[in-house]
Amino acid sequence: MRLEMGHIYIKEIQFADTCKIEDGTLYVSAEELKKVALEDEKIKSVSFDIARPGESVRITPVKDVIEPRVKVEGKGGVFPGVISKVDTVGSGKTYALKGMAVVTAGRIVGFQEGIIDMTGPGADYTPFSKTLNLVMVCEPIDGIEPHDYERAVRFAGFRVATYIGELARDLTPDETKVYETCTIKEGLEKYPDLPRVAYVQMLQSQGLLHDTYVYGVDAKRIVPTILSPTEIMDGAIVSGNCVSACDKNPTYVHQNNPVVHDLFEEHGKTINFVCQIITNENVYLADKQRSSDWTAKLCKMLDLDGVIVSQEGFGNPDTDLIMNCKKIEAEGVKTVIITDEYAGRDGKSQSLADADAAADAVVTGGNANEVIILPKLDKVIGTLDYVTKIAGASEETLREDGSLEVELQVITGATNETGFGKLSAR
Amino acid sequence: MASYSILTNNPLVADKLKGKKTVEYVPVSYEEILKMARDRVYQGYKLLSHPLSGSVKPKETPYKSIMVSTRKEEVEAQSVRIIEEAVMACGKFTDRRDSYGPDVRKDFQMIDWTLLESAFASADAW
Repeated sequence: MRLEMGHIYIKEIQFADTCKIEDGTLYVSAEELKKVALEDEKIKSVSFDIARPGESVRITPVKDVIEPRVKVEGKGGVFPGVISKVDTVGSGKTYALKGMAVVTAGRIVGFQEGIIDMTGPGADYTPFSKTLNLVMVCEPIDGIEPHDYERAVRFAGFRVATYIGELARDLTPDETKVYETCTIKEGLEKYPDLPRVAYVQMLQSQGLLHDTYVYGVDAKRIVPTILSPTEIMDGAIVSGNCVSACDKNPTYVHQNNPVVHDLFEEHGKTINFVCQIITNENVYLADKQRSSDWTAKLCKMLDLDGVIVSQEGFGNPDTDLIMNCKKIEAEGVKTVIITDEYAGRDGKSQSLADADAAADAVVTGGNANEVIILPKLDKVIGTLDYVTKIAGASEETLREDGSLEVELQVITGATNETGFGKLSAR
Repeated sequence: MASYSILTNNPLVADKLKGKKTVEYVPVSYEEILKMARDRVYQGYKLLSHPLSGSVKPKETPYKSIMVSTRKEEVEAQSVRIIEEAVMACGKFTDRRDSYGPDVRKDFQMIDWTLLESAFASADAW
């Protein structure tokens, strides 16, 4: 599959009477976008705000972060099975609005959820402090059930992102990148001496606010399967989870998955990037056995030499991670696993809830229990009402001077397990 | 009815499954539910759902529901490993069950219910 990605750089977002993109500025009409968001009668009202890098702004509680894109050539459309029909995507030409994001926020349950600080120490930990953010806060109709509210906010975000992406359809990209994968046979012929490497991506799949969708299918209901990594660039995988936001993948991370991008960088040079394998992280233990068995089986059938496995979450998924690692290694395929740690506030506790000697190549996104003080910022988009109830927070979280004492796990993307972050250690 | 029992301290689970599934509702702490599951595992019952289901951290949510088998067999190594790791992981977190109002407790109950419910399709398939 061959996908041409056209990047259109957005340098500023401003409110205006009509939506358009001109000279790198995205003009948004809140009225126009409201109509798009309110197409779902379960949403009573929506407000739009803009948060720029460096501004004294805190966004919370964050539900999802989405990069607007538009498919200009090739089969299907963005977010297949969700916004567009279910045609297989990942080929042709797609434009992405780089440097910006649509951020959805809203109270769905009275706890959890993420924080994006646009300045201060918290900003270092979230990659979304570096994007121009168009934030939409959705309020539901009265008496709505959490499931319906979650779904309504999720879909509203995709509709608005798609509407904005469409504004770029007739523009000329500032930069173009081409991503191309081979068929199995082509790959063997073209790169006979290069190691065959795949990416095994584990997807959250546990329940309300813990779900992921593949072409619109709830990932709990999939068996492990193969994707062309270009499919995700058209929104084949979308997020429906945000609880303990540090190590969850918002849709933006799926669209821009750094493991995929880095493997493409090495494709044809040091490795043959064969494909992406997706699997789930179900609650039921027999599901874990089936999924990890199948993942290992696919690795074997594809004659892989190595895989990179990324996890999403902590606890329950630790078991899937170790099962995958152990079984894939047992098939003679080398693994590198990417995880994060809950090593306690002092960093001295065992980091994962499972382990095995086969997991001897591990990359970590950091210790999610580490405490951070987030200073009071001038403006809050969303609400701080639930900040004492979010993961890693407590009644003492909101301090007298307005600052917050929290664990890193409250910050959207702080310990992301695909490596989607701006911090590293030496 | 499939051969499993649900250990829970979540009143919503007890309410929703009344007369439909075997539920052992005990209004104890999150950690106590894990320890109850651990006792069952050492008695030869299998763990069927993951004790650390959900991203709401142990003890940050007051509620936990765990599915165990009702047929006593040999003690299973995998069940032992998973439940022991879960009890250990639980120790890293602070118990916050007294710090929530009724609305938040209701939401925690709802989340625990959906995590458990997600296992039924597979659990009831055989």
